[in-house]
Amino acid sequence: MTAPAIRISGLRKNFGASEIIRGVDLDIHRGERHAVIGPNGAGKSTLFHLISARLPVSAGAIELKGENVVGLKPFEINRKGLSRSFQITNIFHNLSVFENLRCAVLWSLGYRYSFWQRLAGLKDARQRAEAVMEDIGLAKRRDTPAGILSYAEQRALEIGITIASGADVILLDEPTAGMSRSETDDAVALIRRVTEGKTLVMVEHDMGVVFGLADRISVLVYGQIIATDAPAAIRCNAAVQEAYLGTSPHLGNEHD
Amino acid sequence: MNSAIFPRGRLLLWGGCLAAAIALPLLFKSGFVVSLLCQMGIMVVFALSYNMLLGQTGLLSFGHAVYYGLGAFVTMHALNIVGKDGGPLTTALLPLVGGLAGMLAGVLLGYVTTKKAGTTFAMISLGIGELVAASALMFPGFFGGEGGVSGNRVVGKENLLGLTWGPQVEMYGLIVAWAFLATVAMFALTQTPLGRMANAVRDNPERAEFVGYDTQRVRFLMVILSGLFAGIAGGLSALNYEIITAETLNAHTSGVVLLMTFVGGIGFFYGPIIGAILITVMQIVIGGLTHAWLLYFGLFFLFMVLMAPGGIASVIAVQRNLWLAGLLGRMLPHYLAVALPVLVLLAGLVGLVELSYALLAGEGVGAGDTATRVMTMEFHLNTPGPWLAALGTTALGLLLTRWIGSRAGVAWNAALATLHGDKA
Amino acid sequence: MSLLNGITYGLLLFMLSSGLTLIFSMMGILNFAHASFYMLGAYFAYQISTWVGFWPGLLVAPLIVGAVGAAVERYGLRRAHRFGHVAELLFTFGLAFVVEEVVQLIWGKVAVDYRIPAELDGTLFTLFSTDFPIYKGFMMLISVGMLVALYALLTRTRIGLIIQAALTKPDMVEALGHNVPRIFMLVFGGGTALAGLAGVIGGNAFITEPGMAAAVGSIVFVVVVVGGLGSLGGAFVASLLIGCIQTFSVALSISVTDVFALIGVSLPQGSQVARLTITQLAPVLPYLLMVGILIFRPRGLMGARES
Repeated sequence: MTAPAIRISGLRKNFGASEIIRGVDLDIHRGERHAVIGPNGAGKSTLFHLISARLPVSAGAIELKGENVVGLKPFEINRKGLSRSFQITNIFHNLSVFENLRCAVLWSLGYRYSFWQRLAGLKDARQRAEAVMEDIGLAKRRDTPAGILSYAEQRALEIGITIASGADVILLDEPTAGMSRSETDDAVALIRRVTEGKTLVMVEHDMGVVFGLADRISVLVYGQIIATDAPAAIRCNAAVQEAYLGTSPHLGNEHD
Repeated sequence: MNSAIFPRGRLLLWGGCLAAAIALPLLFKSGFVVSLLCQMGIMVVFALSYNMLLGQTGLLSFGHAVYYGLGAFVTMHALNIVGKDGGPLTTALLPLVGGLAGMLAGVLLGYVTTKKAGTTFAMISLGIGELVAASALMFPGFFGGEGGVSGNRVVGKENLLGLTWGPQVEMYGLIVAWAFLATVAMFALTQTPLGRMANAVRDNPERAEFVGYDTQRVRFLMVILSGLFAGIAGGLSALNYEIITAETLNAHTSGVVLLMTFVGGIGFFYGPIIGAILITVMQIVIGGLTHAWLLYFGLFFLFMVLMAPGGIASVIAVQRNLWLAGLLGRMLPHYLAVALPVLVLLAGLVGLVELSYALLAGEGVGAGDTATRVMTMEFHLNTPGPWLAALGTTALGLLLTRWIGSRAGVAWNAALATLHGDKA
Repeated sequence: MSLLNGITYGLLLFMLSSGLTLIFSMMGILNFAHASFYMLGAYFAYQISTWVGFWPGLLVAPLIVGAVGAAVERYGLRRAHRFGHVAELLFTFGLAFVVEEVVQLIWGKVAVDYRIPAELDGTLFTLFSTDFPIYKGFMMLISVGMLVALYALLTRTRIGLIIQAALTKPDMVEALGHNVPRIFMLVFGGGTALAGLAGVIGGNAFITEPGMAAAVGSIVFVVVVVGGLGSLGGAFVASLLIGCIQTFSVALSISVTDVFALIGVSLPQGSQVARLTITQLAPVLPYLLMVGILIFRPRGLMGARES
């Protein structure tokens, strides 16, 4: 049997005296869509930051496809096939939509730090960037600087950059945060489409999105996972209901 | 940077610039113009190499003169070796030696400086610059101490084309050739994966890391390559002036290249070219007229930072957009209307500065004297007349500028709104 | 004796680096022109001393410098802020340039005769047959007094608490206090006034000339990098360290060869490096220290934040 896409064991993270992640164990299977939910301040984003090495781990182990990744730098983890999006839009503001996506594919196509090849001559990079642009519905905004796109377009670009490299493990941090209902529906369809056949882990507050997309759900409360199960089972889980009802009266649309 | 490429238009532009550069000394045969053009050519390469860091990678360096200066010194020593022992190199190829020296310096120093980005990088680059400049005085054997190192660029016989590089015009030809090559190379670099990722690192280093790039490595490579071109510029300056002093390495030189690049515009490839040409001309022309030119220069820079942070290139770009949208005609009368009071204001300010300078720094007819000449006019500093006139002109200019300026500002905003409205 | 001199110089550096650190922590601005305010302090004090003597200048000059600083913040930096950090940094850079030119315009290119007041001229005590001048003692007194006042301000007042909060939790205060331009103006004015005071007492102890800003400015940046960006404690330690290093190294005449001989390495004779004495190396030692720190401890001595 192959190793899980991500295996987290005994993970801890503290900021000074306060411990935000208090011993998380979690296996993400290959090819599944996994949602991490939980009340505000539960540590969901922190968990993502630890997996993607944006923050250093205090204790515990993280394995990506069977390989230890604790202590690696973000770009090293990315090169091992893990890509992530951010809750706060994180794009290249002065570059056009097309350039944003082309930057995202360069490394995975092996162009590294090349300064002897003309970008315009790199057909594969152009094609892949254009394909992703088509996928995320921004083809007609090709030459628009990313900084002046609308919010929903920027979020789509954020997802586009995340998936463009062809990484097989995708982490999405609140992909639909701040979107209207119809924008959210579009985003869900987009996520479903572009993560086909890949491992997806996402943090999401919109329960409609979570229960619509996820194969399995983990519930993170105060830095610990209190349940991991299929959506139907999570819905009936007493501990989850208590945690949610105790802190927030509705499983509705909210964000940090 | 637009991803669409119009090779023909671009070729025409490049060819036109090259042709102009070649034609200029033929039109103006005076030695003064030719040496001015030589200095411009060198500064263009230097400023473009600087913008590889500031504009393209977002690295604000206060120590770029180090690469320029080391390139110059190494070239000078290479020149003297060639002059003494001969050797495989000819004068024409020596700037490449300077470039390699700058590159090597980039490898050694860039390793330390690029550990950080942003503000810390700026401080460290300053410190490293000071370190090298201070070291230069400790090693007179290499840097020549106070007197610097000098050489003679005429070595050996005439080359294949019958050139010795001795006459300034021949040197100018060499500078144009190198400057053109370097400019093409630097432009080409902006169109490569590394060049684009440098832009990405400038815009958002965190995201660049999460698409697989080591931002430190990108910065490091850009510093090395920028060192190469700065070194070539330094090598050219060594050949051009035939003397290099330790001042070439110091913070002042670093500051000047920063000012040139910024004033020209860091957001456009051609910005630094404009800046280098303009500032070099200002330096020579205004510098010849008044001793206070550095002050004017500094004030001009502050004005640009506050009013047009995109530099001259961005001002041109906006006008071009207005023109393309058919709005420039609407703005032209306003520009002319504003120009008048601004000129009055400038005249007043210049008058004040020059009068103070004459009085306090003892310039003009002689220390302690109370009469001075400003641009052929004689003023008596101990009478209130000139002072009141200057003050009055300044005040009048200020009032008029505010009055007419606010009206022009309304028109300007309207034009911009129309422009962006059309785009969206 | 060198130690006392070093501490005096270090304290002076700290008066500069503390202001720089405070401004940086609060406003995110690296004030490139900080040493220019130091220079202005010295020149203003000189000018005032020629009119009414040293003592009024000691009080008035820093106040004028602070007012100039506040005006710069209000009418320049606040506008540059809209264009981002690079524009701010460039603005202060241009300002340093202009200040130097204006100083040359008004007071000339050569050093002015800014002297230690007669009542402070003399020897305080003699130790190991070296005189310790009264003025050095006075400098220490002023800087320590200033530091105590600064400490009290930071720990005992409301504004002090906000500034302190900015040091440890910049994002938080940015969120809470970013719309408090008056505090920014105050911090900038205060920081520059501190630099001005350093200029008043340093200008006559060392030299008052148009190049003094550039000379001190880069050292202050080294102090801030070595200490760790944004750390007052680090700035303090680094100031004293660099103050002592510079003072000691000027007094040492052993050569690099001797130093290496101490640790059992013999350098080839005759090379230029080997013949250099520590005194000759003095100007570059702070920068070497900075490079070393950057390689082995990139955060600085006490820096908590990466930038």
